[in-house]
Amino acid sequence: MSWRVDVRCTGSGGQGVALAAVVLAEAGLAGGFEVALTQEYGPEARGGASRADVVISDEEISNPQCGVPGILLALHDKAWRKFATGTPAVMASLASGATVAVVDRDRVVVDPATPGVLVLGFESVARDELRAKVVANMLAVGALGRLIARLDAELVETAVSTRSPGAFRELNVVAFRRGWAMMHDLLASPGAEEVSAGVAGARA
Amino acid sequence: MSERQLIQGNEACARAALAAGCTFFGGYPISPSSEIAELLARELPKRGGVFIQMEDELASMGAVLGASLGGRRAMTATSGPGFTLMQEHLGYASLAEIPCVVVDVMRGGPSTGLPTSPAQGDVMQARWGSHGDRATVAVAPGSVQEVYTLTIEAFRLAETLRTPVAVLYDEVIGHMREGVVLHEPTSEELGLRSGPRGPFSPDFLPYEPDEKGVARVPDFGRGYRFHVTGLMHDERGYPTSDHVKVERLLARLERKVDAAVDAVAPEAYRLEDAKIVLVAYGIVARTARAAVDALRAEGVPAGLLRTRLLWPIPADALADAIGRADLVVVAEMNRGQWAFEVERLAGRHVQLAPYLRAGGSIITAEELVDHVLLASTKGATV
Repeated sequence: MSWRVDVRCTGSGGQGVALAAVVLAEAGLAGGFEVALTQEYGPEARGGASRADVVISDEEISNPQCGVPGILLALHDKAWRKFATGTPAVMASLASGATVAVVDRDRVVVDPATPGVLVLGFESVARDELRAKVVANMLAVGALGRLIARLDAELVETAVSTRSPGAFRELNVVAFRRGWAMMHDLLASPGAEEVSAGVAGARA
Repeated sequence: MSERQLIQGNEACARAALAAGCTFFGGYPISPSSEIAELLARELPKRGGVFIQMEDELASMGAVLGASLGGRRAMTATSGPGFTLMQEHLGYASLAEIPCVVVDVMRGGPSTGLPTSPAQGDVMQARWGSHGDRATVAVAPGSVQEVYTLTIEAFRLAETLRTPVAVLYDEVIGHMREGVVLHEPTSEELGLRSGPRGPFSPDFLPYEPDEKGVARVPDFGRGYRFHVTGLMHDERGYPTSDHVKVERLLARLERKVDAAVDAVAPEAYRLEDAKIVLVAYGIVARTARAAVDALRAEGVPAGLLRTRLLWPIPADALADAIGRADLVVVAEMNRGQWAFEVERLAGRHVQLAPYLRAGGSIITAEELVDHVLLASTKGATV
């Protein structure tokens, strides 16, 4: 049985979703998988609702496009509105349990009745604990790394390190580890496991 | 180097150019090709190469041709609007037999169009964009890895055939990142220019063809005195209006590029028993391959012919693939360009149902599956 996960990273231009996607793709590649990363290159990448898609698979990726993602990251409300609530197929997939959304509650207003959502506070942890709001994307990388089955923590950490600008390298690695732990704890909490249990490519 | 690296299509193109011995880039940056210029601007000077940003694409192409005549492996990269401005000099390069590689990362057109959205709208432009019966070569990579290998191949074809070679891919492939092995090309993969038989003499013939029909033009500055012109010329390189010589020249220029057909073979996917044949190239060939798998899973005998060469058209392979088919679906991100060529070659007995879309997004596998199922049940051209 082939294994494939489609991850869509979304946010507002400048939040670093493109770098988050690059890190995940690089970790997948280092793990021996095939990867394809596509992203929006228009004005969205500079302030609008931005998007970067990563496909990781254990076989040749015929279709590099991420259709309805298995895992959706939303770091900003306008991205959530565009790529989740504004996209009926994604809402249906969340409802059916085929998609899990990882959402930054500090930036996104989520209707508590929305199924399939895992909520974490990336920005507040980045700001209050790590004293650097800009590393919220690396917290998200940690959380997604923990959520994607078959991604190796060490390989993701190496990718975080090699892809970070020098001044942020250490802090990004700290943020990555913190994000990994946040998702780890969340998945251990009651009810959270079922949210990702049916998602292709995700680990419960 | 055998390790896979996560790089972008445009970066793979620039890396391939460096690996292929390119030492000159003249260009004008334009989305979605700019990363090629960006990387070569940084890397070429370190290696004794030249990067020059010209005032526009007309001048860029002129600089490239000058560098090539001087013996450099030379290239430029652009997108549709720039490709339009390069057509004049591309015609000159074809007739004067000046090797060069022109990368066109296709975006939505016409005019300024859709600067950062994918399209495959420059296929016919690559063939007929310059006036006259210009023979041409255009390759169409379908993955980031293939951007690397086919850019190297484009340099080999350009140099050995002494002709401009276009590398056409869309915005998505240009910006997509995949794992790529950046292998060092062998000397066969690099190829060599045809050169003069001996030292300069008064009866020296720069445009005398070699056994492959390629002119023996020496590089400038090697002690040969000769003339390069955009007028029809004889083997001495001087203008002629002798219709027999002109006819012979045009036929030779057309014939010599046929070598590309054997060099860049199409890829057959699940075609052995296919009754429904999809034909695609570039990014669409990827989703078409996924569509074939989905159709096969439903018991529909579908297959894919993925062409990696757009010009000259690989007519034999195409005829072979579609000859036994009940239904042929050319899928491309334009309003019907290569589809016309396939229609021309298909003959009347084959049912054709091209799937064409040019709005700026990729044709998805799901769309193709739906289209094929509809077209095959209707039993008539959609």
